[in-house]
Amino acid sequence: MGLSSGTVSYLRFVAAPVTEGFEERACEQLASKAFREIDPGSEEEQVEGWVRFDDAFAADFDPSTLVTPSGNVLFRLRTDTLKVPAGTLKAYVDQAANLRCKAQGREKLAKKELDVLKLEMKKQLRLRSLPKLSLTDVVWNIQTGEVRMISTSKSVAGRFVDLFEKTFEISLRPVGLLTVLWLRGMSEEDIDGLALVEAERFHLIRE
Amino acid sequence: MDTSKERFAYLGREFLTWLWFEAEHNGGKVEGGELGPIGVTFGQRLTLETGGNVREGSTVQADAPAEAEEARTALRVGKKVARARLFLDVGERQYQVSLDAETLTFANAKLPVLLGKGESHAIDERLALLDELEAVIDQLFVGFVNLRKSEASWAPVREAMRQWVVKGAAG
Repeated sequence: MGLSSGTVSYLRFVAAPVTEGFEERACEQLASKAFREIDPGSEEEQVEGWVRFDDAFAADFDPSTLVTPSGNVLFRLRTDTLKVPAGTLKAYVDQAANLRCKAQGREKLAKKELDVLKLEMKKQLRLRSLPKLSLTDVVWNIQTGEVRMISTSKSVAGRFVDLFEKTFEISLRPVGLLTVLWLRGMSEEDIDGLALVEAERFHLIRE
Repeated sequence: MDTSKERFAYLGREFLTWLWFEAEHNGGKVEGGELGPIGVTFGQRLTLETGGNVREGSTVQADAPAEAEEARTALRVGKKVARARLFLDVGERQYQVSLDAETLTFANAKLPVLLGKGESHAIDERLALLDELEAVIDQLFVGFVNLRKSEASWAPVREAMRQWVVKGAAG
């Protein structure tokens, strides 16, 4: 589920503060890593990039639509995957190999021929397939520096952080237990003091 | 600052276990600092685990899992809450969220019904609600850590929690 409706699952990050003129610069930076369609004629299996929050097929960013009235920057990570399932590819390669053997009066194809056939079939099947499209909502509160990625997938998070840092040249830190304390105003001294605290055993009563 | 996730994972498990104790101890309300009293109910699914490298877990699925004998037994053998589905009442708004103790990751957060009109306002409203939900969880966690970091404030809570775990009812 995304941010717009239904239940919401997400991971939290903290970004370094932004400087003046961020909105205009962010539009250019997002455009520089904008989503581009996967080329079915190539070998690429996955492509990703940024798209507008309100349109998964648009990557022209404008400060007036990028930032909400409350000062949140909204955009989406679009990931397209075009993979021919191994079982499907095998079935088509077997069929093509049988047809060729029959036509040429042979019992079986040589390994090299099969490899070439496999590559040809993969190319043909890719041209007949639609990529799987996946969208991940991103919300960046530029006042607090909090970034929410609306997904809890670790693999998506890894790719998201990498692309985010490359795009904005800003480091992104995942929010964990200690970061929550820091974000909510606990002093570094108090947080460091937790190093001396040991885990409790509530089920053991001291006599 | 030591940000080792493993080192402080126990704090998250103790936090959710304390939240269970505190809610039961105070008739379903937990003090949320600036946010006032928060209604806290554990619902649907509750997972308790031991800490350390070899984890042993128990998952209880019930309308009120915190009242299930299986959950009580898990506490008595040394397990603490690792994941919980929380129903949180903040004023007249009710939130639901599944929380992972070690990361405080929010999953399947159900927000109160929207009042705004138009897509951009609806998004802003949902973001404001998420902000409030985060503030509630964060403030409850900060409140717990403030108690936990000082032996003077923690000692009576520890003893009360031990009695609760072993004897099975909050005093």
